[in-house]
Amino acid sequence: MSIQNIDLPPSVTIEKADDESEEYIMNIGPQHPSTHGVLRLVAKLDGEYIKEIVPVLGYIHRGIEKMGESQTYVQYIHLTDRMDYLASHFNNLCICLTIEKAMDIGVPERAEYIRVIVCELQRIESHLLWWGVLGMDLGAITAFLYGFREREMIADIFDELCGARLTTNYFRPGGSFADIPDTFIPRVNSFLDQMEKMIVEYDTLLTNNIILHERTKGVGILSKEKAVAFGCTGPFARGSGVDFDLRKHAPYSVYDRFDFDVPLGKVGDSFDRYMVRMLEIRESIKIIKQAIKGLPDGPYRSKELGSYKLPKGSYYAEVETPRGIFSNYMVATGKSQNPYRVKNRSPGFSNLSVMNELAKGLKLADLITIMSTMDLVIPDIDR
Amino acid sequence: MGIVIENLPKLLDPIPGGSKLINTVDYIANWARSNSIWPLVYGTSCCAIEMMSTGSSKHDWARFGWEVARATPRQADLIILAGTIVEKMADPLRRLYDQMPAPKYVIAMGACTISGGPFFYDNYSVVKGADHIIPVDVYIPGCPPRPEALLYGIMELQKIMCKETIRETRKKEINAVPSIDAMTVAVQEWEAELKGKEAGLKEEAKKYKEENPDYKPFKQPRKIVEKFEKVERVIHPEVGKPKTELFEKLLNQFPFLTLYDKEETNMETVEAMKADEILDFILPTDQYIPVINFVKKNADFQMDLLLVVTAVDWLDHYDVIVQLTSTTFKHKLFFRTPIPKDDDIPEIESLSQIYPTANWHERETYDFFGIDFKGHPDLRRIFLWEGFEGYPLRKDFKHPEIIARPY
Amino acid sequence: MAKEELAKNSLEALKNADQHPVGDVIRKYFSENFENEFIAHVFSSSSNILLSILVMTAFAGGTASFLIWLERKVCARMQVRLGPTRVGPFGLLQSIADGIKLVFKEMLRPKGADPFIFYLAPFLPATASFLVLAVIPFDKNIQVVDIDVGALYVIAVSGFGIFGILLGGWASNSKYSLLGAMRAGAQMISYEISVGLGLLLIVMLSGETSLREIVFSQYGTVNNWWIFKLPIFGIIAFILFLISSTAELNRGPFDLPEAESELSAGFHTEYSGITFSMFFLAEFINMFIAGAIGTTFFLGGFLPFTIGIEGFDNIMFMIPGWAWFFAKTYFIIFLFMWFRWSFPRPRIDQLMNLEWKFMLPANLLNIIIAGAFLTLGWLL
Repeated sequence: MSIQNIDLPPSVTIEKADDESEEYIMNIGPQHPSTHGVLRLVAKLDGEYIKEIVPVLGYIHRGIEKMGESQTYVQYIHLTDRMDYLASHFNNLCICLTIEKAMDIGVPERAEYIRVIVCELQRIESHLLWWGVLGMDLGAITAFLYGFREREMIADIFDELCGARLTTNYFRPGGSFADIPDTFIPRVNSFLDQMEKMIVEYDTLLTNNIILHERTKGVGILSKEKAVAFGCTGPFARGSGVDFDLRKHAPYSVYDRFDFDVPLGKVGDSFDRYMVRMLEIRESIKIIKQAIKGLPDGPYRSKELGSYKLPKGSYYAEVETPRGIFSNYMVATGKSQNPYRVKNRSPGFSNLSVMNELAKGLKLADLITIMSTMDLVIPDIDR
Repeated sequence: MGIVIENLPKLLDPIPGGSKLINTVDYIANWARSNSIWPLVYGTSCCAIEMMSTGSSKHDWARFGWEVARATPRQADLIILAGTIVEKMADPLRRLYDQMPAPKYVIAMGACTISGGPFFYDNYSVVKGADHIIPVDVYIPGCPPRPEALLYGIMELQKIMCKETIRETRKKEINAVPSIDAMTVAVQEWEAELKGKEAGLKEEAKKYKEENPDYKPFKQPRKIVEKFEKVERVIHPEVGKPKTELFEKLLNQFPFLTLYDKEETNMETVEAMKADEILDFILPTDQYIPVINFVKKNADFQMDLLLVVTAVDWLDHYDVIVQLTSTTFKHKLFFRTPIPKDDDIPEIESLSQIYPTANWHERETYDFFGIDFKGHPDLRRIFLWEGFEGYPLRKDFKHPEIIARPY
Repeated sequence: MAKEELAKNSLEALKNADQHPVGDVIRKYFSENFENEFIAHVFSSSSNILLSILVMTAFAGGTASFLIWLERKVCARMQVRLGPTRVGPFGLLQSIADGIKLVFKEMLRPKGADPFIFYLAPFLPATASFLVLAVIPFDKNIQVVDIDVGALYVIAVSGFGIFGILLGGWASNSKYSLLGAMRAGAQMISYEISVGLGLLLIVMLSGETSLREIVFSQYGTVNNWWIFKLPIFGIIAFILFLISSTAELNRGPFDLPEAESELSAGFHTEYSGITFSMFFLAEFINMFIAGAIGTTFFLGGFLPFTIGIEGFDNIMFMIPGWAWFFAKTYFIIFLFMWFRWSFPRPRIDQLMNLEWKFMLPANLLNIIIAGAFLTLGWLL
């Protein structure tokens, strides 16, 4: 295997140069500043125009699903931290929901509320990182630093909550491994106050910037039908008007108790996707505020079990991560403590598959815009 | 001047050998190098986020002059291996390293790049230690290491840089020792060590007891474990069209369908199912396409969003699993098609004509299970590379790199 | 007393100021102290040039490293950071450390690159910038040469730098470099027109092409500076000049030739060590030059900020001209930095549209209207 050997589908061919055009192949990645990790794109270009884009995956394929087969169910939770590391709580939650479903484990009220607060905090965290990186990809490096400034506050809150900033591993079947510290709620409140001020600043810096409008409006239009056909989910699909948010339409945990809107785009271009995420930050703030208001006292988890041995069968749970639908499908034989087969649906995997459809005919710089608005996390895609 | 002459030996001492003049040049070069480390923008996974955090306002590695992160290896001095290195990435990484101009330095950030970390055991694709590919100067443990740890790591690198001389380059070698199960080796070593100690310790303890007859061994206080009550699980109400309705309509159309993992396929079984259970039908191979086509196009089902195509290896056969949902009604349906395992490459029809997204999901299934999807436009491996032997998620998969977990 | 002061600061007095005070001293010294006629002759005739070359080279290096430091500090402050702090006071030695490190780095040449052009290219932009420095009037008596066609010289020589970028991108044998170079070529040649037209307006209005004379044409109160002298065209021309020179400098938000997120590092993707540092150096000297040109043409160069009240003006005149010059230049440089760290980057076609569909017509219109005003005698 060599990098020279460009692994292309048979459909991609280079036409011979003539007077009109000269096609060539450009290799973007696996090490490139805006592929958000180690995604590799092989682009067939004509000057700056994109003729075809072929994503090449697997540069961070770590075989997590195979490893899951030799770990116990609870051990598997920590591996999912490392899949979509910007949404580790969501991944943990999904595994916990599967185990709870299979073993009929209930979750106390307080734990459910903690789950919602923590998850929504992480949604804001993930969107902040996305916003900063989008700014950086479009050349506004200051946005990156501003996004990280608020993100650090959440990272510190998580740090105090569970001892880790990124790979949190906080949820357990039946609740979480520890109660929230006393300082948690005041810190979240002060963060929300800060965030509400700062989101106005973000709008001044980037959202209302005419160059951003020029770069994103009408770029990479994804129709509603295409979004569904290619299995796109999350804000990426909602930007195209696909009204599908698990928190609203198939609520898990206690999401059905909160009042929030699902922002939807109309045109389906990069700007709509941008706006959907910016609005989602505001909605998340709304949810957290309600959850803090309603946070009951009580135990933070239900009874601990000696071992989590799932009965025979196959179990499915899904959550709405900042990138879309993350689902966990576990097959248990009932005989061992390890799952027989684990399958995780990563939202980015399906979202990325529509890349070629979006980028065809646009310019190289538009490819970067589209990639940014996809909000890719490559280890999540490659698993 | 006097101060300079007095301090000169102190400053130049760490630099090995040579006359004062050359050492002064060394000192200036080292000073410049260690204060102007331009890292390459290189991040594969979780550690990359912490690396970005290090550059953020709170930690600000610009204070040390390291913020000039270069996107091209030609202008970089340092490569921070932030994240797991897998076999497929090894080749590009080596290439990147070779493209950097000397003197170049490498920091292995995080457990994955040190040894494989959480992906050490039972893994077929992760390189067990990045130092097998390129020479590493500084190792920073953690999963992921905190930004402070990275700052400390680069400061340690600065110390290394200050001891160098431009007259000769420090020899750097990659780790040629094959990956072994470090845990087993360590446990064995500890056991051997303990055996030698134990005998001596016993005698010591005996002696001590004789000397101090009042001695009572220390008793560890019992840890108070919090007790939790069992809680009844709240089952959310059914989403979308009721299961009974879907079941009835589907069975009317395709009476040969059976429910997976249920004793009987009838209305009572469906009614007895919990609200959050999902209908899971077994499809015969020849009816695979028609049924899925029907549920996609039928106005009562409208299963327009394909979530997953995957497979399960049941030793005697494979189950190809299709998970569908509807963006209009939001209900779900699962289908599974058993395909026999007599061939090396089992076959099934491809869904990519019905759902474009199935294209990649089927490629993934092909990559992991070696199931051939007939009619697929572009059936190549998606994560692994051409030439990788075997299909990793098959139960009989064997790979020389895999180290089995010893416990 | 006041009269004497005024007389000292009058236009005539300023114009007649000795152009090369330091050079004259040296010339005098050599012609008096050396008995050997030949040496005395050589030194006395070439002292100005030798001295100027030495001073300007040192000045260019110093300015570039200071600007790099300043850029890093300014950007850090805008991003709620501290910026370099470890090397020297306030991290002032940071760019020196970078420079020394780059000198000690290995130079790599990619396989298939044209060696001669590959190594020649980085020195062209730097050369061009050094040449432009020669005509900048830093003060009434500090200027290397005062060419009569100074304005044309600036436009012509600064256009020379693009060759380095184009050749460097082409010779690298890399697709990223080539794309970056092509972008740079299209962008810089287009925006040179706007820069040229902006300067042309001032040349037309002042009737002078020597940079020194252009500065003197703005003598008087602050209202006589070209940016304020014209009713509104001055400000329009200045803004157009700022935008187009930002684009010509390849600086953010118009840093498409480098476009880190798209092309890794654009035209200098394959350059390492000292060759890369030459591109880097040229970029920052060019920034200084753009600021200096803007100051000379629009902000009254080394002339002080006077408002027509005698006492105030006298105090202003006490501050030396070069201090005014640098203050104004660094103000413009700060504007460039402000742009860079605030805006996202447009796409190449949008950038071209901006030039050909907006900036160029606006500039032409500006010239035509100002010309009409001039002919009708409303302005001057």
